[in-house]
Amino acid sequence: MSAAAGGPVAVHQFIATLNPHDATGAHALRLREALRTAGWRSEIFAEAIHDDLAAEAFKHWMYPEHAAPGDVAIYQFTTSSAVAGYVAERGLPLILDFHNFTGPEYFAGWEPQSVRRAAAAADELALLAPRALLGLAKSTFSEEELRRAGCRHTVITPVLADYRRVAAPPDRRVAAELAHLGADGGADILFVGRIVPSKAQHELVKALWAFRRLYDRKARLHLVGGTSSFEYSKALQGFVHDLGLSAAVRLPGEVSDAALAAYFDAADVYLSLSAHEGFGVPLVEAMVAGVPVVTRGAGAVSDTVADAALVLAAADPSYIAAAVHRVCTDGQLRATLTAAGVRRAAELSGDAVATRILRAVAAVVGGP
Amino acid sequence: MSSTDETLPADPQAYVAQVMAEIAEEVRVRRASGDLPPKLERELDELFLAHSPVAGRGGDLGDALRMVDAATFIDPVVPVESERAAGAVVKKGMRSLLLWYVGWLTHQMSQSTSAVSRALHIVDDRLQELERQVEGQRVPAAGVVEFPAFHHADAWWVEPTVAAVAKAPGRILHVACGDGWLVRRVIAAGGDAYGVDPRSRVIDTSALGPLDLRGEPVGQHLRAVAAAGLGAMVLSGTVEGMAGAERSQLLTAIGSRLAPGGTLVIHSVTRQAWEAADAPPETDLAAGRPLRPEAWCSLLEQSGYDAVARSGPGGADFLVTAVRAAITSPYQPVER
Repeated sequence: MSAAAGGPVAVHQFIATLNPHDATGAHALRLREALRTAGWRSEIFAEAIHDDLAAEAFKHWMYPEHAAPGDVAIYQFTTSSAVAGYVAERGLPLILDFHNFTGPEYFAGWEPQSVRRAAAAADELALLAPRALLGLAKSTFSEEELRRAGCRHTVITPVLADYRRVAAPPDRRVAAELAHLGADGGADILFVGRIVPSKAQHELVKALWAFRRLYDRKARLHLVGGTSSFEYSKALQGFVHDLGLSAAVRLPGEVSDAALAAYFDAADVYLSLSAHEGFGVPLVEAMVAGVPVVTRGAGAVSDTVADAALVLAAADPSYIAAAVHRVCTDGQLRATLTAAGVRRAAELSGDAVATRILRAVAAVVGGP
Repeated sequence: MSSTDETLPADPQAYVAQVMAEIAEEVRVRRASGDLPPKLERELDELFLAHSPVAGRGGDLGDALRMVDAATFIDPVVPVESERAAGAVVKKGMRSLLLWYVGWLTHQMSQSTSAVSRALHIVDDRLQELERQVEGQRVPAAGVVEFPAFHHADAWWVEPTVAAVAKAPGRILHVACGDGWLVRRVIAAGGDAYGVDPRSRVIDTSALGPLDLRGEPVGQHLRAVAAAGLGAMVLSGTVEGMAGAERSQLLTAIGSRLAPGGTLVIHSVTRQAWEAADAPPETDLAAGRPLRPEAWCSLLEQSGYDAVARSGPGGADFLVTAVRAAITSPYQPVER
């Protein structure tokens, strides 16, 4: 490998979509800054670039204009993309930064196009993993998947996310609206994530229904996030309507950082019943915001939350309702989870994570 | 609702475990009291499923057709309820004015969807008949047929196999790898080897260490391997019991996954060994019978390999070593 002799000239990143509002996009931007600060040249090449970041990245096919001997590629793997084949074709020394992807089984019956896309992602992982000098996994869950795909050298490094956004001043209009809703009492349960089958928002609705029936008739559920699954979103809304919960389940869609801060500010508990999570950035955001977390331990969730959340042993609505009730009413439990959450969030934040990534990169490709 | 002034427990993990136990007990008591009967939770599931698309309920074509049938009639009489005082009156007036027009359109749409539904039912009937016929002719996939006399690290064919594949230009796959006895030998000789075996029970995952052994069928595994991603493949105990179509599919898959210049090694037994009294019981159950060495060479040469066969010392088994020719194409790769 040319990089080994005198160190790489550049460590460039390749990514399917560079979007400032998703965890991977934010991760790539922060990693670029860390790489540059450490002394490497570093650019981002993407298949799709959000308008707000047009000046921050290049289209992936523009890479040859920037190529130099000794370049190393970091591929941000999140979903199926033409960039995967492009990176494999270039034959650059490769580091696979694996964020995991939702498998086709979670979309089966809902979105045929998503099933195909997820299956293609699995093929692309099989293509890239055996070629990678290093796999950066976001959890032991993802590390096992990387190894199964043939990646022989792996390191666990969390997502480089800016968790401080939830501690920003909350949007005043949203905060006032939430305060008005809560004026008559009732717990505010929050979940943040795209409305897709793998996030299982319908399970959250079931839990709310049981919670209202058994403990708190005024409780509300806020499902923040856009959707990429029309069928699932439609079914969810029909389900909410049939249960008579239209006023109690709020679906504000994608929101600004300030509005998100307002939702975390108002939340009594963060509840996640996802069937699959590659990392779960909102779980950490809840911890930063001081909101106790109750969650199912699916995918990488148990790795992410460690001992800083109430990880549910069962998924039936009555059990979840009892757990949420306990968190909402037991001051000592809230204080314990909140303190552990702040500690855990600190472990997953800041420069220490960037240092771990840079150290792993330097170990396989040489220093800048 | 929050209380941040609480004293934190000395052992938070033990405390949380205690809380979890108390929650479980609370649920048990609630259930016993009839506050939330299990029937209600099942009804919640069913209610959500009623909103999910058909395949979300198992992908059954019968379910799909029932949904199509239910949606066939399009009602022209639109609801007129309104939250505003005069809204219902306005809507009712509009409905009366437009009913003749909307009714004419919806009648045609209902007729059209009924025709589609009828056609789908005919397709469903024919598919079911085809499934019944195919099921009667289904040939079971061949399993691994392991002969204790031939499948071990000291067998005569192991040394020439290791010599043929150890310097391969890429990863080396042993199919029907068992506990990894051949994979270890190839790695010791400097090869980058791994194994797959459909009998996942024979792979002791707790004792693998750095060995890469995977419990999955070879066909499934090859589908996940990149084109030209393998430097060499060794098949042992794999091909003897295959029926023609399955063998052909495997060779096609190998052809696309083996790099040009890569090596394919096949160890197989003769028909005499296959039919001997002490042969494993799987031989009786297999859909196919072993090919002769000459047949393998001919088959592989037709598939673009240079193949050589050699017999074992007792004449009961043989080894075919085939090198895949480099691809010759009139088209040159595009310079980037």
